[in-house]
Amino acid sequence: MKKYLLLVLALMPVLVFAQGFQVNLEGEKQIGMGHTGTGTLQDGASVFFNPGAVAMLPENYVQAGISPLVFMSEFNPSNSNATFRTANKIATPFTFYGVWGPKNSFWKFGLGIYTPFGGLTDWGDSWQGKYALESLDLKTIFFQPTLSVKLTDYLSIGAGFVYNHADIDLHQAIPISNSAGADGQGHLSGTGKGYGWNAGIFFKTLSGVTIGLSHRSGVSTSFNGNAMFSVAPSVQGNFPSPNTFTSKVPLPSTNSVGIGLYPSPNWTIAIDANEVNWDVFKNLSFTYAQKSSTINTTVLPQNYEQAYTLRAGAEYRGCPKLALRFGGGYATAAAPADFVSPQVPDANRVYFTGGIGYKIASHLNVDASFEFEHLLARQTTNAYTQLSGTYETNVYIPGISLSYHW
Amino acid sequence: MKFLKQHYYIIAGLLLITACKPDIKTPKPTNGAADFSRYISIGNSLTAGYADGGLYLAGQMNSYPSIVAKQMQTVGGGVFNQPLFNSDQANGSGYLQLAGFSAAGSPNLTPVTSNLAVRGQIAVPGFGNVTLYTKYTGDIENYGVPGIKLLQITYAPYGNLNGFYERLLPQDAPNNTMPYLAFITAKPFTFFSNWLGNNDALAYATSGGAGDVLTDPNTFAALDNLLIGTLTAKGAKGVVATVPDVTSIPYFNTVTVGAIVAGVQQANPSVKGIYINALVSGTTYAPRLATASDLIVLTFPTSKIGTPVTTPFGPLPYGLTPYTPVDNQYVLDENEVALTRNHVIAFNSTIKSVAAAHGLAVFDAYTFLNNVKQYGLVVDGVGFNSGYISGGIFSLDGVHLTPRGYAIVANQFIDAINAKYGSNIPETNVAAYPGVKFP
Repeated sequence: MKKYLLLVLALMPVLVFAQGFQVNLEGEKQIGMGHTGTGTLQDGASVFFNPGAVAMLPENYVQAGISPLVFMSEFNPSNSNATFRTANKIATPFTFYGVWGPKNSFWKFGLGIYTPFGGLTDWGDSWQGKYALESLDLKTIFFQPTLSVKLTDYLSIGAGFVYNHADIDLHQAIPISNSAGADGQGHLSGTGKGYGWNAGIFFKTLSGVTIGLSHRSGVSTSFNGNAMFSVAPSVQGNFPSPNTFTSKVPLPSTNSVGIGLYPSPNWTIAIDANEVNWDVFKNLSFTYAQKSSTINTTVLPQNYEQAYTLRAGAEYRGCPKLALRFGGGYATAAAPADFVSPQVPDANRVYFTGGIGYKIASHLNVDASFEFEHLLARQTTNAYTQLSGTYETNVYIPGISLSYHW
Repeated sequence: MKFLKQHYYIIAGLLLITACKPDIKTPKPTNGAADFSRYISIGNSLTAGYADGGLYLAGQMNSYPSIVAKQMQTVGGGVFNQPLFNSDQANGSGYLQLAGFSAAGSPNLTPVTSNLAVRGQIAVPGFGNVTLYTKYTGDIENYGVPGIKLLQITYAPYGNLNGFYERLLPQDAPNNTMPYLAFITAKPFTFFSNWLGNNDALAYATSGGAGDVLTDPNTFAALDNLLIGTLTAKGAKGVVATVPDVTSIPYFNTVTVGAIVAGVQQANPSVKGIYINALVSGTTYAPRLATASDLIVLTFPTSKIGTPVTTPFGPLPYGLTPYTPVDNQYVLDENEVALTRNHVIAFNSTIKSVAAAHGLAVFDAYTFLNNVKQYGLVVDGVGFNSGYISGGIFSLDGVHLTPRGYAIVANQFIDAINAKYGSNIPETNVAAYPGVKFP
């Protein structure tokens, strides 16, 4: 019949993922104090917060903690009274720190294993934005050996090397109906790796105030993995599957400055300010091994902006065995309004934290924390998907850690 | 221990917060200055939910008025009955489905012929055969009748000439005398949508300018004034839509002159082009070489090109000589395109001015669909365009819409209503509707 008609599917199964997906859960004591820690000395988590402070730690540490978090997001499409919510899945950021040096030595060695970036969002396969995302599970694990040196009693420096191992798992609907009217499905899963470093300086001033400065470098992470596309058989040829992909995700560098104040022997007050250089996240690209008119290399502008956080927290030690902590902070969004996506619905956020530390035995401490984070409601229209509406998110993060010190 | 005690309270408090999901304050649906308690829809095949070359139950279920009515129910809208085919005759008039693709990528369409609602056929003297469908006897709010023109709304015998209209009427053809305008206004209503007028241009265009005539713009204006005047006479409010540029639909833009010529030249490089019988002026036609401005209909059997045709000069290849041009019914030539477009523009000028005179909301389908053709459209992560099958909006007949296309149009109607009447009818979720079904 119409033998001169060629069909080219011009749909849009682009994979967009994004955002201020930094997870700031790197130590239960520090979480309790509003994520501060650049300018104070608490425990082995200084490996992360300020490698320069590690040599100043009075003891050696082995500690591990976990902060299971629930990310509850809601979406209200523009001009609609419908709402869609993420499933209550639990992500598990964790930390491990070891700090060791000879007693009264001028140096200490540290090792940190922690999960600074990630995201777990599951919107399901029947919501309005299913063609932008059904679910994303992104994990990064940073391994950081660190060396810190005390130059004087008042000044120490340190630096670490970072190896990042990352995992990604992403599901997205493809807008091609099969004979039963059901969508196609795309599934990307893979692993990534990247390298970076960090460094810091720590001062003890004569007045007793402590000051820290740290820099964590960007970590450009290269992913590769498998891409599976399942669509109606008659158009499966447009979606070569199984397929493989490569992708590069630039994780941002962070500059931090912090101070610790000690108004009385019972109190520690900490203030941190951070600049997260999300502006490196200009583009996200996916390259597929087998290409077609539909599955092709995509370069997706993200146009992220620098983000800032201001954090403050306090610790009160009323009796020797018990510490109570509280804090909070404010963080600005990295994603501009037209690049917010359901992967991580970025927005300005406020958070409040509380914590308790208890000395179980002479060398053993248990620390618990709780954080409530609220991403302010944000109206957005994504430049790619035109998914338009308002996101609002609450995050609940209990956490616990054990530390052995000697 | 005092502090530990204090901490228990904090823990308890935090656990309570854990139960709290974020809660966005969604805008409250309101009806504004309009009353949606009985909404009726007036129109042709697009209003009936016609798709894939037929009217069938699944298409009816996704008609744009039914989507609009469902959304209206959040702001006081009433029940919306459609003249649905029953489930054992769900395939209604029959329709086309996609069976697959050739190696070269051409779609292979097959007709669905089971579970039809055809009850017979009558011959109408001077008109032809009319297929009759199983009668529908319940209440009706969706008055969409495939094939109807604005020209025909006052024509009393029309109920005997259109099987889709005949099935809604109490009498069997050829005994109907109820004009469409009287039929739709027989019961009181508070709100209406009107999207008539497409067939006043489309029927001429799809027949290649050979099998039908364009409605005279003055007649169109008189009838539109009569229709809107009658609909608003008792205070009902409503929304009207303009007529799309019928020459922009995939039906006319999929099989192109360029593609046909390129295909023929592969076999025979000496061929210059294909000949068509083109309108010169008035009713004078003359053969000439086709250009990119001449539109070939989607249903043109391109395999006919080059097959021998008997002529006074002996057998000559079809379409390749001035003596054997492509039949007029397959081509809307450049002059016919211009005529069609001018008529549509005149119709739309009438539709908009009559709507303004009566204070009605307007969905400018002409502008909307032309923008889709020119720029494409992205909705919730899906890219649409006006391409055949691949574009996602148009169904397999290249004229009517997919359920997803009807949902997009429904939201356009809703936006127009909300803007005019200060109502806040929520839009529907376009991603919940299927597109073309691929085997």
